[in-house]
Amino acid sequence: MTAEGIGRRPHHRQASGDGVQFRTSDGLLVLLEPSRELPLVDLSVTFRTGSVHDPEGLEGLTRMFGRMVRMGTPELDGNTVEETIAKLGGRLGVETSTSYVRFHGTVIKRNLQPFAALMSCLLRRPAFRVSDLAFVKRETRADIVAARDNDRALASRNFRRFLFRGHAYGRPVVGLRRSIRAIRCEDVRTQYARHFVAPNLILGASGDITEAELLTLVDEHFSDLPRGRAPKIRVPAPARPRGRHVLIVDKPERTQTQLYIGTLGARVNDVDLYPMLVANTAFGGTFTARLMYEVRSQRGWSYGAYSRLGQDRQRDAWTMWTFPAARDLAACARLQLDMLDDFVKEGISRRELRFAKKFLVNSHCFDIDTSAKRLEARIDNALFDLPTDHHLQYVRAVRGVKLDAANAAVKKRISRKHLAICVVATAQEVRAELEALPGVESVEVIRYDRD
Amino acid sequence: MRSQRSQPGPSRALISRLNRNVKPRRARLRFDAEMKFGGTLSVRRYHLGNGLNVLVLVDPSAPVVSYQTWLRVGSRHERPGKTGLAHLFEHLMFNETETLGAGEFDRVLEAAGAETNAATWTDWTYYYENLPSDQIELVTRLEADRLARLVLREKQVASEKEVVANERRYRVDDDVEGAANEQLYALAFKKHAYRWPTIGWMADIEGFTTEDCEAFYRTFYAPNNATLVLVGDLDEEHALTLIQEHYGGLAAARLQDGDAIEEPRQRRERVLTIELPASTEKLQIGYHAPAFGEYAWAVLTVLNEILFGGRSSRLHQLLVNDLEVASSARASIAPFHDPGLYEIWISTRPRHGARDVLSVLDRELNRVIESQVTEDELEKAKNRLELGFLSGMETAGGKAESLGFYETVLGDAGRVFERLDAYRRVTARDIQDVARRYLVPRRRSVVFVRPRNGRRNGKSGAT
Repeated sequence: MTAEGIGRRPHHRQASGDGVQFRTSDGLLVLLEPSRELPLVDLSVTFRTGSVHDPEGLEGLTRMFGRMVRMGTPELDGNTVEETIAKLGGRLGVETSTSYVRFHGTVIKRNLQPFAALMSCLLRRPAFRVSDLAFVKRETRADIVAARDNDRALASRNFRRFLFRGHAYGRPVVGLRRSIRAIRCEDVRTQYARHFVAPNLILGASGDITEAELLTLVDEHFSDLPRGRAPKIRVPAPARPRGRHVLIVDKPERTQTQLYIGTLGARVNDVDLYPMLVANTAFGGTFTARLMYEVRSQRGWSYGAYSRLGQDRQRDAWTMWTFPAARDLAACARLQLDMLDDFVKEGISRRELRFAKKFLVNSHCFDIDTSAKRLEARIDNALFDLPTDHHLQYVRAVRGVKLDAANAAVKKRISRKHLAICVVATAQEVRAELEALPGVESVEVIRYDRD
Repeated sequence: MRSQRSQPGPSRALISRLNRNVKPRRARLRFDAEMKFGGTLSVRRYHLGNGLNVLVLVDPSAPVVSYQTWLRVGSRHERPGKTGLAHLFEHLMFNETETLGAGEFDRVLEAAGAETNAATWTDWTYYYENLPSDQIELVTRLEADRLARLVLREKQVASEKEVVANERRYRVDDDVEGAANEQLYALAFKKHAYRWPTIGWMADIEGFTTEDCEAFYRTFYAPNNATLVLVGDLDEEHALTLIQEHYGGLAAARLQDGDAIEEPRQRRERVLTIELPASTEKLQIGYHAPAFGEYAWAVLTVLNEILFGGRSSRLHQLLVNDLEVASSARASIAPFHDPGLYEIWISTRPRHGARDVLSVLDRELNRVIESQVTEDELEKAKNRLELGFLSGMETAGGKAESLGFYETVLGDAGRVFERLDAYRRVTARDIQDVARRYLVPRRRSVVFVRPRNGRRNGKSGAT
């Protein structure tokens, strides 16, 4: 039993770590991060395939193939799979993002062998039954409808679509109702066959497992995988928005709004990634950063106020997120835009730089305090073709950030003029105020139940 | 892995070293008990002369420490008209003290790499700092400082009330499940303080004065109403010395006597229908449930795993997979000191009615009353609970949270691992008995949520 209750602030944190690494003769990359602390083992298989690989009109296909893998093999139906996982004291999740699909399992150590055998079996021999696909499509459509009850998720999803208009990063990972309808079993099989090749996969293990145990496990369950190359997709650089544009996701009876303001963020291998990270931390990355101080501590307008620097192969999003009451929305948005102006024009101060660096360096121990976190950092290195010791350079890289570099990175990357602003609110109550925000060129309204 | 009392504890020499030259009685430290924590670790409990309870678990697995302060005060200690005060106060604790300016507490700790936060519920409030292990002196000093020397000013109270009002909009007013849950507790409890939400009614939040907050602080924030929990890579003697130094000067307070009002037995089903801007119909049910300390709580938890635990559970299979009438179905038992609710939440799929889903649910619940669950189902549920339990122990913060919670709600941190043993002992017969005792329709409350797309002021009705 753990404590829940209600807290003073929303959580947020990032990750990093170190261990054993090898590649099988098929080309499968294997990473290990052992720890004897608890009798638990984490196993994951990550595909270097994400929603950016969804063909036009079939948005949601990559997530769908991940979900379909879980629906069983010719010998095991989906219910039997779920029953077996639970009986072993395990759990299995499938996570799809723009850049990867990850099958992530955790199991009590005594049941590691049968659990690994099941994971391997699911991945190697998915049944992809027509009846299962029909079920998963109905389930996905129901999930899309249910997600409309979550205002924050509505704001986040619509912000990305608005910012990355027409770009693969703007597609909802889960898909659209019409694209889900269009997906056929053949599409799922093809997507799987193209991407389930050893060099496209990363096998990760952490927790109560030794190197010798992992070698045996790989030999028994993850050898003789299909070889070959997965199709490479060259994701074009997303275009920066031109001008300030507002999207209102119109939902009835909102006493509170969800406000996302942002522009393009960073690439994982940007040379000024760390200067940008430090500057963002000073601006809106901690509880005492500028944004939280002005919005929450001084004015009490929003329970949370953070800025986030997204990173991917191409530039992801940089966002400010607050959730003011409807009556405070315009004032809060104005304040944030003023603060952004100041952030870009004046940059951060030497004192803020010192504070942000101290925070990032000193709190790094929580990025690596469990074997699972250390492994995740190494998987990210492999996924994004970064040096294997990239995560070990974190502290040095942060310490090395100079004030000029941090402020130059902000000037270069963050635009004051070209912004996407997305609000979940009752449009009738806020539209006029949003149109009056400085520099706004257009205000578009969509219904919240448009997916 | 099991909890066992044992006598060894720290050496006498350690205690006498700690108390050497400590004159005030309230700063003198007494060893109370040592309890096994899993296979290799152990927790020690100490008391300071002023009544401060201290739990120490040395765990060198990572160079971090979790420092938690658990107070035996929650929303159950409030009264009508002043609901939400415990939670508002939790926010105010991050403000000014006699030695630190407003915002300094967070700034100093963040610069040290700490993650700080707090939570409030019905029976408790707790504050935590997860920080690098070399920062233990800093956190001990700051926590002791705000426990005794908080400064409350009108401006900060007004600002924090706004923040809490926003939090309430976020969690309740504009959240379908939050709104339904609040109604469920108000429907199910007529006397007990569990009937009002921990975040408080909006009118009460808006009405708090600085004097209310000062009175609350004087009444509940005292060393003899608190437990410190320290878990991580620390030197026990050094940590205890710091606690003596920083908390030893604090005086105990006169605490209130028993606060509980027994809830009269519910004798007929209560039903409420509300209209909210929701995507589909929803259903929230609350059966009166056992208190957290009872064995029946563990039995009901195992039954809940069989019914709602994961994709292979009976109700997920039936409602989500087979009949496809729900997009999600989940349930949990309130971990409260006094009997709370067994809460069930079902979100229906478009074009399916919550009343029809309730009929299906009733048939399934009758099935566990009429016939015993299988041994396979029992084994699966117990394995899932073991996995969840162990996963909660991965970090120093997770361990500290379990210890603080058990110490505060049950008065005994040593019972953490006993709960895992209790799950293992549960039999099919136990489950049937508990189902018969608790899953009684006349002792439940039901909230139906109907979607409404339009202005507020829709109808609602209770029976």
